[in-house]
Amino acid sequence: MLLWILPLMAVMLFGAIKNNKILHGLSVFTSAILVVSGLIITLKVIAEGSYEFNLFYVDSISIIILDIVLIIGFLACVYSVGYLEEEIKHEKILPGRLRLYYILLHTFLFTMILALSVKNMGIMWIAIEATTLASTFLVGFYNDKPAIEAAWKYIIICSVGIAIAFLGIIFLHLSSAGTIDSTQILDWTVLYGKAGSLKSPILRLAFIFIFIGFGTKAGLAPMHTWLPDAHSQAPSPISAMLSGVLLNSAMYAIIRTLAIVNKNLGTSEFTGNIMIAAGLLSIAFAAVFIITQKDYKTLLAYSSIEHMGIIAFGLGLFTPLSVFGALFHMINHSLTKSMLFLSAGNILQKYGTREIAKINDLLKTLPVTGGAFLLGLFAIAGTPPFGVFASEINVIISVFEKGQIIIGMIFILLLAIIFAGIGVTLFSIFYKNSSVETPPPRGEGNIYGSAVILLLVGVISITGLYMPVSIFTLLNNARNIIIGG
Amino acid sequence: MENYLNLLSHLMLLSSFVLMANKRIRSYIKTFRMQSALIGTTAALIGFESFSSSGRMDVLVVSTVIIALKVIYIPNLLGSTLENIDLKVEKDFFLNIPILVLISCGIVVFSYFSISAVEGINTGIMNVQIVNSISMILMGILFMISRKNAIGQIVGFLVIENGLFVTAMFSTEGMPFIIDMGIFIDIITAVLIMGVMVFKINEKFESADTNKLKNLRG
Repeated sequence: MLLWILPLMAVMLFGAIKNNKILHGLSVFTSAILVVSGLIITLKVIAEGSYEFNLFYVDSISIIILDIVLIIGFLACVYSVGYLEEEIKHEKILPGRLRLYYILLHTFLFTMILALSVKNMGIMWIAIEATTLASTFLVGFYNDKPAIEAAWKYIIICSVGIAIAFLGIIFLHLSSAGTIDSTQILDWTVLYGKAGSLKSPILRLAFIFIFIGFGTKAGLAPMHTWLPDAHSQAPSPISAMLSGVLLNSAMYAIIRTLAIVNKNLGTSEFTGNIMIAAGLLSIAFAAVFIITQKDYKTLLAYSSIEHMGIIAFGLGLFTPLSVFGALFHMINHSLTKSMLFLSAGNILQKYGTREIAKINDLLKTLPVTGGAFLLGLFAIAGTPPFGVFASEINVIISVFEKGQIIIGMIFILLLAIIFAGIGVTLFSIFYKNSSVETPPPRGEGNIYGSAVILLLVGVISITGLYMPVSIFTLLNNARNIIIGG
Repeated sequence: MENYLNLLSHLMLLSSFVLMANKRIRSYIKTFRMQSALIGTTAALIGFESFSSSGRMDVLVVSTVIIALKVIYIPNLLGSTLENIDLKVEKDFFLNIPILVLISCGIVVFSYFSISAVEGINTGIMNVQIVNSISMILMGILFMISRKNAIGQIVGFLVIENGLFVTAMFSTEGMPFIIDMGIFIDIITAVLIMGVMVFKINEKFESADTNKLKNLRG
């Protein structure tokens, strides 16, 4: 319950405080407490399977994503301190707007926590719609032409997408008419428990609408058009939050529906076809745009589309191994991608440009960030010692185990193209290039930020080699809930 | 009772057609107000019935909120936004009006056939109304893509939201009260944010013509 009250209290306090130093401190402090209380709940969930208090409900699926939200939220808050000070120093933003930034950031955090900790699908929908509203001004925070354009695109496309998802939720409710009583309307646990007696034809319709609606928010192709612009125009800590956290929250809503629909139909063929197709399409779109990309933040955004595609693909296969892989991939992708966006923020502040061609000799100018960025790029492309590889290989193994060899080959081919694309387009920034004018002075600007980045690099290197037993149990429990075994 | 509801549902569909044929931004807002008034009346009718039969107040409260919000507050808000920005959008459409109306007719036919193909929906009492309200949603989407200015897109979004609300009301006797209220809060915030965005677009791009938002490409 503390998880809900704390961010709201912080938002109110932000409204009252004018001193920037106190604002920074309060923001880091609240998000740190959130992480701690998240950990306590995680321990409870591991011990008891689920934790319920009034409207508050988390089980193994939601706690995984909730922990990602809290941890990335905390790291983004720490990073913001240095990032915003630097922006104010360079007069990119006015000092007075800091308050607005923190109010919006913590509202955004609150809406995501709310979406992940209720079992009523209707309230979940409201919270996910609210995430769009809370983050619109964050996307358009710089207030210049491209930022406003990105924010307008973001709010319009996502609102319409989410509206379509609501149609799906209405149909979900309709399919349960007569089987559950009026106090339990849209309650996920009840729907899941009585999945066998729901009306299948309406449920299929509901799944299609919910998939398209929340898929828009999760950035699956062909509904992804808002994503590259919003991610590249937003301030970097916000890009990290959008990519590492928001996309997962939307995917979470799809996972919940998927579990009900597959349990009702008894087979994963219907949902699997849709999700595998959307997943492959997303990866293909991302591959094409990554190869031709000139802007590194947009490139990272397309890479998020790719990884959401991989997750959808893994969920679509719906074997125990692939669902496990998909869930594990969510963790790995969030940590790696937020690390990359945070490093990209440091690079952007140093060089003042988003164009790949204008950046050179990164390892010398920014030794820490540059090194982390290089490792992160290897990790996100799927090179062995890192976590992303470990989860991708789970998905790949399960394609071939299922016997869908052609689909598996297309999948691997696309991943290889993306690997090559990232190499071709981005690695030039690490070399010296004499055609570019003098590089900016050496040295890290954002010290807190660099510490956060180093921490994340450490974590993503470990997850590929070693997984704590508690996380393994959580992932297994979550998988069992989804598969229903 | 059911006759009245049928009549109101058809009128709502008709108002969507009227909206599609509107030329001026001011008349979009008027048509939206009219459509919301129809929805408010419908909710009030259903509310009175549920109040007299089972003593439930919630639908009545919802209908009051709809009338306050969608008939009075939001149209006024849009109207005042409109007065504060300069309107120099001459050719507002991507397609001309007769074609749009024809496409809308196609949408109604399409949703009729696709909805009646789904088993289980037909057995409900209010089949025609679901067809009408789904058509409203689709026409809202068409309206959004056919208008080039920002306010037109907001009105399109609101029409989609209206369609959703009506679908929920007719197909399932309304959502639980807390969800309805949450949706209203979301809508009002969305419209406020979009209104502010319209000002910003108008300020930076010197027009509320979203056709000018073309700088970002992949």
